[in-house]
Amino acid sequence: MSIVVSGGRRGLTDPKIAAVILAAIPDQPLETQRKMNYFVTPRGKRVNEYETLCCYTQPTPDWIPGGLDWGDWTQKFHGGRPSWSNESTEMHSTDWHRHRDPAFRWHALYVKDKAEEWRYTDRFLKAYSADGHVRSIDPVWRDEVLGDYLGAFGFSEYGLFNSHSSATRDCLGDTLRMSIAMIGLDKVDNAQMIQMERTFLAKLVPGFDESTAAPKKEWTQGSIYKGARETVEEIWQGTYDWNEILFSGHMIYDPLFGQFVRREFFLRLSAYYGDNLTPFFINQMQLYHSQTKGITKDMFHTCLAVDENFGDYNVSLMNMWSDKWLPRTVNALKDFMGIFAKIPSIAGVTDKAAIEAALGRVFEDWKRDYADPIGYKVDTAALIKTVLSGLK
Amino acid sequence: MAISSATKAATDALEVNRAPVSVGAQEVHKWLQSFTWDFDKNRTKYSTKYHMANDTKEQFKLIAKEYARMESVKDERQFGSLQDVLTRVDAANRVHPKWNESMKVISNFLEVGEYNAIAATGMLWDSATAPEQKNGYLGQVLDEIRHTNQCGYINYYFAKQGQDAAGHNDARRTRAIGPLWKGMKRVFSDGFISGDAVECSINLQLVGEACFTNPLIVAVTEWASANGDEMTPTVFLSIETDELRHMANGYQTVVSIANDEAASKYLNTDLNNAFWTQQKYFTPVLGMMFEYGSHFKVEPWVKTWNRWVYEDWGGIWIGRLGKYGVESPASLRDAKKDAYWAHHDLFMIAYALWPTGFFRLTLPTAEEAEWYEANYPGWYDMYGKVYEEWRARGCEDPNSGFLPLQWFIENNHPIYIDRVSQVPFCPSYSKGASTLRVLELNGKKHSFSDQWGERMWLSEPERYECQNIFEQYEGRELSEVIAEGHGVRSDGFTLIAQPHTSKDGRLWTLDDIKKIGCVFADPLKSL
Ligand SMILES: [Fe+2]
Ligand SMILES: [Fe+2]
Repeated sequence: MSIVVSGGRRGLTDPKIAAVILAAIPDQPLETQRKMNYFVTPRGKRVNEYETLCCYTQPTPDWIPGGLDWGDWTQKFHGGRPSWSNESTEMHSTDWHRHRDPAFRWHALYVKDKAEEWRYTDRFLKAYSADGHVRSIDPVWRDEVLGDYLGAFGFSEYGLFNSHSSATRDCLGDTLRMSIAMIGLDKVDNAQMIQMERTFLAKLVPGFDESTAAPKKEWTQGSIYKGARETVEEIWQGTYDWNEILFSGHMIYDPLFGQFVRREFFLRLSAYYGDNLTPFFINQMQLYHSQTKGITKDMFHTCLAVDENFGDYNVSLMNMWSDKWLPRTVNALKDFMGIFAKIPSIAGVTDKAAIEAALGRVFEDWKRDYADPIGYKVDTAALIKTVLSGLK
Repeated sequence: MAISSATKAATDALEVNRAPVSVGAQEVHKWLQSFTWDFDKNRTKYSTKYHMANDTKEQFKLIAKEYARMESVKDERQFGSLQDVLTRVDAANRVHPKWNESMKVISNFLEVGEYNAIAATGMLWDSATAPEQKNGYLGQVLDEIRHTNQCGYINYYFAKQGQDAAGHNDARRTRAIGPLWKGMKRVFSDGFISGDAVECSINLQLVGEACFTNPLIVAVTEWASANGDEMTPTVFLSIETDELRHMANGYQTVVSIANDEAASKYLNTDLNNAFWTQQKYFTPVLGMMFEYGSHFKVEPWVKTWNRWVYEDWGGIWIGRLGKYGVESPASLRDAKKDAYWAHHDLFMIAYALWPTGFFRLTLPTAEEAEWYEANYPGWYDMYGKVYEEWRARGCEDPNSGFLPLQWFIENNHPIYIDRVSQVPFCPSYSKGASTLRVLELNGKKHSFSDQWGERMWLSEPERYECQNIFEQYEGRELSEVIAEGHGVRSDGFTLIAQPHTSKDGRLWTLDDIKKIGCVFADPLKSL
């Protein structure tokens, strides 16, 4: 038959074409190794689907440790700076392809989860509004705390989100790049959920201001978020080393400041002010936080800190970075203490003892999960004392 | 409004209306532009000579959650078809062997483009100042992760289900050996991520996506299905649904710099360079993959090229940008000439170097030769005759001891590599427009095959220092290079690459190559 196929005829279904194809196919498969990426060192017992689809997608030469390609870059930046280079970070690795998302999420699994969260959010909001829950929220909490201060916290999340852009560009491994983009998207999702809650409230509460103007003023000019804002600006734009960006944001600032604001302030207190709405959103953020924690702990603790050639060096660098970023974060928390003067006080909940206990939980968690694994010596009581000095 | 009266108003409102209320993506997105704030250090980490306007809007107004919902719906359909009906009908074993081989290259090389586009759009997300513009690029970052995984999935599927897993199963490790790899890196990897951020956007979005994505992704699905492959259309058409947003991003990039003075000075030069960069590789490689990598033919590549590259892109798409001062690239005319013969020239070289591939190549059959001659008059005298000679000398048979590369050497037709595009060319035996130009810098010789690349190199030689395969392998024996690059099958000695796809033909081994004693030489050294 003719080899010209026209009219959209398909080889799978057109009997004449199919006959020619079948006659050409070997009787036995030519290769017995059917497992793609069989040469990858798996994290678990065998190479999983995530490792098959993600590992070694990056074409880096072997002078970037772990790369399988050879030679130079075929085009460089103006002036000759390389596409990707070891100089983009002070961290060293024997193999930049080692990182794994502990949840083994490639793109399809990642968006599937988030799509479910979106559908459930939509259903939840409908039920919440139809149920009339909104009547029970304390007005000061609703209009000032959620309107202004939760709104302002959205900028912290948005700034952290943007800190992932250059890390997405510059990092040296494929699983790293995918993880960084995903945990970045979660941060902008947080900022958007905060706005979503405010827009939702505006629909239910006549006169509630959904505009971002007041929160932005609070974030850029107010005293409560001053330390946070300065730290976020420095993580986002003041820092060039992609590992330092991730370390400062996800190993210091967010597990301390982010966790206190989300978990110990908004999540813990909202119920006391009749607010069952905020926990719905914050709990999603806490899910993202725990997934991100798994990812960044894998990057820094599971991979870099125990690297067979550079582990000790990396750990000492992480200690230096902790020295640099911890005081700023403590200062951000200290400034944030000003918020307690703005809310109606509830004994045993918003008083100093309760705040100290909340800070204790956050700092102890951080010490156990982030400081101890790199042998970082920290006097949490002293740090908490410094933070508490910000109480008005 | 006073606080207490707001609560009362809310309570009153509920008494009147208890209809369930939710919040749509657009209602959140409309605030996005106000999410950023000014501060001293707020500037991009990647310099660009252009200024991207602070108020640039995006066309597709997605928020994170809505993005996920949309993509996940598409994923369900696509992976559902693959895992369900296509597996049940054993579709991977109903693909023509030649096309099975082509997909080793097409899917893996496209994967590299998708992968680098993650980093490229990460850079653009950093460079843009307007939150909406950042958001458009961010959506693309995630899309390109999706596409990377999808391309991988094609090779994964073919490896698991298909007739020849070798090459599908390890492309990421063996692809770097051969002559097509470095050129692919120029267009799909470094061209997207290394340079002025806007220049990279032009390479990726304005040219790569708007111009070559159609031939690559859409045309490939037609060739695939004609040759029995329904997996590729299932995946690639799903990829294509995201590309509209990417082209819109490229369009917005131009809009965002349109009022900047730098645009009137540099934009058309950057566009011309980007177009030439992309076409220099894609024009011959796509044509070669379609025509020489298939049994059943859809249409001559030159027709596809004229319709999509010359008319649709060079005419309509660039025309739409005319109001921003964008002109059709000056190099488009030279490219049009390349679209006729360049892929025939390249196949000859690729076939001559077949042992360095991670796929099997096939010489045209008699009926294909007829098709070539009918569509490209003059084909037989230039190429067909030579292929007959190669075949007669036993180029397909491991016992022959003949590699077509020897024919080039015997006839004194040296193969060079263009420094800028990394595309191989044979100036003394080609019908395309390649001409040899050799320049020397600091004692090192550089060869070029066209004036546009040569100009790029002359103005910025430090950007194009990459050694080519002949420099890299100089003095080394071919079988050694193949073994080192993992170019063998799981038995440890049969090559992944083969010079035929005949089911009765014998397969070459490392020993067959070793016997020939082929040692790489750098042609520039003998000039
Ligand atoms: Fe893509
Ligand atoms: Fe794209």
